[in-house]
Amino acid sequence: MSGGAAKQHRPAWDWPFLLLLFVIGSTYVGLIVALLVADASFTTPGHLLAALRSKEIRFAVWLSLLSCTITAILSLLVAVPLGYLLSRWDALTEPALVVVPDGWRWLPRWGLLATKKLVDALLDVPIVLPPLVVGLSLLILFQTWPAARIEWLSGHRMGVILARGVIPFSSGLIVVALTRSILGSKPMAGWWAMLAFVLWWCVHLLFGMTPPGRVYESWLQTRFATPITYAVPSVILAQFSVSAAFAVRTMRVAFDQITPRCEQVALTLGCTRSQAFWWVVLPQAWRGVVTAATLAWARALGEFGPVLVFSGATRLRTEVLPTTVFLELSIGNLNGAVAVSLLMVAAALVVLLIVRVFGLGRAG
Amino acid sequence: MRPSLQSRPARLQLAWLAFLASLILLASLVTLLAFKPFAQDAPPPGTRPLVVFCAAGLRKPVEEAAREYQIVSGVEVQLQYGGSDTLLGQIEVASRTHAVDLYLPADDSYVHSGRDRGLLDEALPLAAMKPVLAVKKGNPKRITSLDDLIGRKLRVAQANPQAAAVGKITRDALVAGKRWDAFEKCIVVTKPTVNDVANDVIVGAVDAGFVWDATVVQIEGLKVVRVAEVEGVSATLSACVVRATAQPTAALRFARYLASRDQGAPHFSRHGFTTGGGDRWEPTPDVKVFAGSMLKPAVEETFTAFEEREGVTLTRIYNGCGILVAQMKASKDGPDVYFACDTEFMTQVQDRFGPSTIVSGNQLVLLVKKGNPHQIRRLKDLGKPGLRVGIGHEKQCAMGVVTQKTLAEDRSTEMVMKNVKVQTPTGDMLVNQMRTGSLDAAIAYVSNAAGAADELDAIAIDIPCAFAEQPFAIAKGSDFEQLCGRLRDAVLSRESQDRFRAYGFTWKAKQP
Repeated sequence: MSGGAAKQHRPAWDWPFLLLLFVIGSTYVGLIVALLVADASFTTPGHLLAALRSKEIRFAVWLSLLSCTITAILSLLVAVPLGYLLSRWDALTEPALVVVPDGWRWLPRWGLLATKKLVDALLDVPIVLPPLVVGLSLLILFQTWPAARIEWLSGHRMGVILARGVIPFSSGLIVVALTRSILGSKPMAGWWAMLAFVLWWCVHLLFGMTPPGRVYESWLQTRFATPITYAVPSVILAQFSVSAAFAVRTMRVAFDQITPRCEQVALTLGCTRSQAFWWVVLPQAWRGVVTAATLAWARALGEFGPVLVFSGATRLRTEVLPTTVFLELSIGNLNGAVAVSLLMVAAALVVLLIVRVFGLGRAG
Repeated sequence: MRPSLQSRPARLQLAWLAFLASLILLASLVTLLAFKPFAQDAPPPGTRPLVVFCAAGLRKPVEEAAREYQIVSGVEVQLQYGGSDTLLGQIEVASRTHAVDLYLPADDSYVHSGRDRGLLDEALPLAAMKPVLAVKKGNPKRITSLDDLIGRKLRVAQANPQAAAVGKITRDALVAGKRWDAFEKCIVVTKPTVNDVANDVIVGAVDAGFVWDATVVQIEGLKVVRVAEVEGVSATLSACVVRATAQPTAALRFARYLASRDQGAPHFSRHGFTTGGGDRWEPTPDVKVFAGSMLKPAVEETFTAFEEREGVTLTRIYNGCGILVAQMKASKDGPDVYFACDTEFMTQVQDRFGPSTIVSGNQLVLLVKKGNPHQIRRLKDLGKPGLRVGIGHEKQCAMGVVTQKTLAEDRSTEMVMKNVKVQTPTGDMLVNQMRTGSLDAAIAYVSNAAGAADELDAIAIDIPCAFAEQPFAIAKGSDFEQLCGRLRDAVLSRESQDRFRAYGFTWKAKQP
């Protein structure tokens, strides 16, 4: 073999090293499996069925899955822009410095750097804070005037907010996408899209003044109006407060790993920053997006402390799976608690596997 | 490779599509949330749900009782569970803006702490719990006494004395029995709640731990070991009305339901709690109150406020105490509460009532017309010829009895009695007759004169026995003993005290 080394080198099969990797790796995997097996041995299919038959637990499963998915999407909507901003902080802020005279640029540059460090540190707060404290902080926040006002609006003006704000805005984004895809790269396409967006919004505002518009608004009001504290929105908010921090961290790392070269090339070829972001960076960060979403989703599923304090544990209202585990445990129903935990693990494994296979499979 | 111009819009669509798809998914999930498939049966319109913060350990009995109550009353009960201290913290932070009506902590230490912090009002006792030593089912370590634990250095989990009453109560009992120091050496872990201790025992992480007797019934896999050191110790479970509630009446009604011996108590006893002493359930109980007439002005406002807050009816019968006693003796169906004008009349029927509380005192005075035209200064002056004098009837009212005693003490009975034109069962009647001018003077309570100060003058009688004390007592075997207890607390409250003073009474009772 050594004679033909110059032509083709076959690495030696370093079995002790591989064995070491396997042994060390399997201790942790083994621990996880052992935990699950211990749980499974503590419960019986009967307990699992009993848990699934309970209306309260079915509600908790339903609310958990729904709220976690909403939380994951919301976390992504925040994490992608924030992660990108933090990752390309210098490149994104540098052009703004041209307005400052040459000798003085160090001052805003220093300020920007400090801001970045501060934001970076703040983003760790939800991660390091004890979960109960996050919940307590949310609860206290919603006693203050601005947040209490938002809560009041959510309970009393939801119809108007949805009909004249949220719905025209989000559907307007679709209108923009449609306009742009129809016009393609024709000149002024961006301006036409914006015009369509504004017109779309105006149509909604005008519709709100007509009698059918009012009926529509009051229907939205009765259907979607909700308090925040101790209600479903508080569950999502509590989960979001913690999950988003993890998603932002993940997205930031994802963007950091993408070399800025491609973007810079795109910029030199005439792309604007936003075009470079949508065409070049985001498709490359697809893996990061999927990872951030799954991490946020998983984190939200297990979130318990803030939910307990901020949303309470009202059956059929704000009870999510970890709350069920807590409730069952606190009345000494260990079997029920373990059954629900296994249910949670199973749900999480299924969802995470699906996302990994389909999400990463395509991008990979 | 540079992407061709044609492929750009496609790229744009891909990233944008993902973004828009996530928005659409978000919207549809929120819509799904709004159309709750698991919605509870809608409560009848116009009723507000009752928000109850309930210690997680009480979930089973409270959930059962709440479900029944919802059917009986049509009021939606929203139960929210948590640790007692967490819930109390939430009440403190959020009760200003979020209605919490009732608080059911796991033991009474939280009631005291909540009251000290001004968060809670009435507390209705629901059940009692006794501490027991729990071991794993089958008693694998063959533990039979505390000495076993200490001698064999077994592992014990103890509930945190600051956070859970079972920890505090057992520690106090062991300290008193001088066993704590030895026992403490066995404690390998301190847990925040009693159920955590129980769970540790079940999974075998420790050999034993103190829990409530109810815990053993509720949680499978535990066995009780009798421990002489904690016999005779117990804690009370209560339902507390949150001070900030907007619907105290509804909260109290549900609390009464939970505490009632025929509705709520069976649920608690089924789950291992010791119950007893609750009232009979009645949506609007009718409590019969016998009270001496002179007390009417001082208590009427308190009674009305109590009726309104509790959502109950107080059927008050005011009369001379002798008449009230006669009525009681004549019929089996006595009052639930007797508020007498003088201890004299309470002693006559004391066998029907529990221990009495002296609430107030009232001074006997000479009532004369404004300006005292007949120059009456002392009792003997009532003997002046031609005076028309009124006094209380010695058989019909406490005032009459006290008057006779006072006259005898003053040795003026004969002189005064020859001028007495009328003997009435109540002091108010005397005041009315004075006002109409049919009497020149009367002997009555200072409280009787309080309402007629612009027409009458009161002259103090400086004789020690010219003083009556008003006892309050609850009938033995009353169906509403707890409710009557709260009525007594209302009578003893600060506001009530002010009313008594305003009507000339002296205050005798301590604050409840």
